[in-house]
Amino acid sequence: MSDVTVPPPGFEAAFHRAAERHERIWVFIAIVLLTALLAGTLFLAVFDYGVIAKTVGYSRHPEEAASGFADAALVATGPNAYAVHMLAHLWAWTPSPLHVPQGAAITFIVTSADVLHGFEVQGTTINMTAIPGITGSVTYTFANAGTYNIICNEFCGIEHQGMIGRIIVDPRHAA
Amino acid sequence: MSTTIDGVFALPARDAAAAERRMMLAYLIWGFSALMIGAAIGPLQALNYGGINAYPYLQPVLQSYYQGLTIHGVLNGYVFTFFITSGLLVYLSARELGLSPNMGLWRLCFAMMAVGTLMLLYAMFDNSSSVLWTFYPPLKGSAFFYLGMTLVVFGSMLPLPIVLDLRARWKAQRPGELTPLVTYMSAATMLMWLLAGVGAGTELVVQLDPWALGLTDTVDPMIGRTLFWWTGHPIVYFWLMPAYVSWYALLPKQAGGKLVSDPMARLTFALLLVFSLPVGSHHQYDDPGISPVWKGILAALTLSVALPSLITAFTLGLSLEYAGRLRGGRGWIGWFTALPWRNASVAAQVLAMITFIFGGAGGIVNGSWQLDNIVHNTVWIPGHFHITVGTATAMTFMGIAFWMVPHLTGRRLFSPGLALASVWLWFVGMSVFALGMHWSGLHGVPRRAWVSYLPHSVYARVYGSAHLPLTLVAVGGVILWLATIAFYVVFVGSLFGKRQATPVAIPFAQSFGGRETYAIGDGGAVGIVADQHLSPMARVLEHLGLLTLLTAVATLAAYIPIFWPFVTHMTAAHGWRVW
Repeated sequence: MSDVTVPPPGFEAAFHRAAERHERIWVFIAIVLLTALLAGTLFLAVFDYGVIAKTVGYSRHPEEAASGFADAALVATGPNAYAVHMLAHLWAWTPSPLHVPQGAAITFIVTSADVLHGFEVQGTTINMTAIPGITGSVTYTFANAGTYNIICNEFCGIEHQGMIGRIIVDPRHAA
Repeated sequence: MSTTIDGVFALPARDAAAAERRMMLAYLIWGFSALMIGAAIGPLQALNYGGINAYPYLQPVLQSYYQGLTIHGVLNGYVFTFFITSGLLVYLSARELGLSPNMGLWRLCFAMMAVGTLMLLYAMFDNSSSVLWTFYPPLKGSAFFYLGMTLVVFGSMLPLPIVLDLRARWKAQRPGELTPLVTYMSAATMLMWLLAGVGAGTELVVQLDPWALGLTDTVDPMIGRTLFWWTGHPIVYFWLMPAYVSWYALLPKQAGGKLVSDPMARLTFALLLVFSLPVGSHHQYDDPGISPVWKGILAALTLSVALPSLITAFTLGLSLEYAGRLRGGRGWIGWFTALPWRNASVAAQVLAMITFIFGGAGGIVNGSWQLDNIVHNTVWIPGHFHITVGTATAMTFMGIAFWMVPHLTGRRLFSPGLALASVWLWFVGMSVFALGMHWSGLHGVPRRAWVSYLPHSVYARVYGSAHLPLTLVAVGGVILWLATIAFYVVFVGSLFGKRQATPVAIPFAQSFGGRETYAIGDGGAVGIVADQHLSPMARVLEHLGLLTLLTAVATLAAYIPIFWPFVTHMTAAHGWRVW
């Protein structure tokens, strides 16, 4: 434990005066910085609105919501736009593997049949919780063809690590 | 009272504060025992990410990665922090004011949390409750788990009436004066925690306890999850604020200087009280069911909570600079190298602060809505909280133990050199680990996944791109094992070490314009904390009751619209035991 050294006369007062000025500048910079970050994040959230988790509906029983997911196929919803029901259940994603065309807006409608799961598509900004009783959606356009992993990122029991699905993005010219 | 100027107690004579010291020591020992078990398991999880599956060799004790992770999270996140904080805030406030705390309540607090901890340990070690520390329904653990958790949560609120009672008794004897800083900060922390605890408290008492006892059949997962995060975000400030108490009120003295601004310390705590509460659902940016408009508002509130920490960075940096210059440091960084680095308690806390700069910056990323989409529930997140609570808080508590165990027991710190080595090892280990975790998170590696159990071909196909950072995670974990061993040799060694003649004082720092002590019975002149004419702000912030009320109203305003669709569209989910 060190003892406080006696400062030279006037040292503390001078230190204090400089500190007050610097403190005002620092707080000003901090507020400007945080405001700029907020503007940036809100702009990008609105600009890239598709990947924001949105609500499709609620149901009393998780099984009810899941029963509407039996079709398990990509459905055309408009020009270059598709939707698919994606069901999370212990311990798999249905449908998987899922083929989607490159460059099309794909809306994933997601729910869980049992416990919480996490719908993460590796290498994209798709990240949404699959909640029993709530159906949500995200929309994403795969710019590049290839195979993507759907990774469950919410703990769901002993085989959680193996709950990996696949999305295969087919090249545009092949479609 | 046998208090003298700095709250120094003549040892080993049995003075009035002997019972308080014994109680404080009990809190320290329980807290650090929990950390010892939790930290011993931690590196297994780091090895898991490096592709090394150690669990088959631990079969009788640990059935799975998930069981180990549950124990690690519950013991380190709740039990360790709650015990240290519930001891520290009461003990430091009492010694600052020179008053005795309500020992009955303080013992009740300990007893509730201790019984709760034993129930949790039973439920976790028999693998009936491997639900992780978030215990999201409809995963369903045993009733022992939820009832134990309930006792721990409600027990941890009891320091509030104790601190408020100390403050009221002091103010009755010193009319017109501002609450001394440590007591102010402790009261603000506990008031924050009272409002925060409403979330998890309600989840446990209304939803999970009756469900686990078989009184109800189903549970609403989204309401449970949202109530959990009502508490789950402010809890990070319940971890952080006690560390801030030490950084503001003790560390400047340990470093050989003073606190440069007492009013800014108060402003920081008041802002943390107000802003930490309404923002919990930012952990649910990626949940459907919550309107995007509210998520935007949450983003604004979340970034606001960074302000008090940025103020802290300035005030504490400057306080250390003052100490460093008094110690002869010159130039841009000379003041920093002139700090007493050989003192393990100072080194632990300054290194904790440096780590927290990166932790805070990562937190701003998490709080930025659209960036969170990339890192949410990847290993980036545990990477983040291991350099915040896992270093800023844990290492500060370790640093406190280095002076407090000798202060409480009258025994010498066992091997100051090993103590210094333990904090450097912790700092290096955690830095390497966290670098690996943040980096792997950007490759989409999910948190809390037993990836080493996957067939090697799958592990390589899915996570091969993150091979280098995942190796760093494992290396960091092994270094942390060494740090843990070093720390516990020092901690236990000090409990049984040699007695020393000179008592160790609590290093209460003086602030610019402040007095040396505020203890009742020191015979000193009556004064005020900061010059009241210079700091109208400190006088406004003295109204903690009003600030709490304001926070409660803001919290309700934030949560009523979030809960509305959930309570009007309830889900009845059955429990699952799938581990």
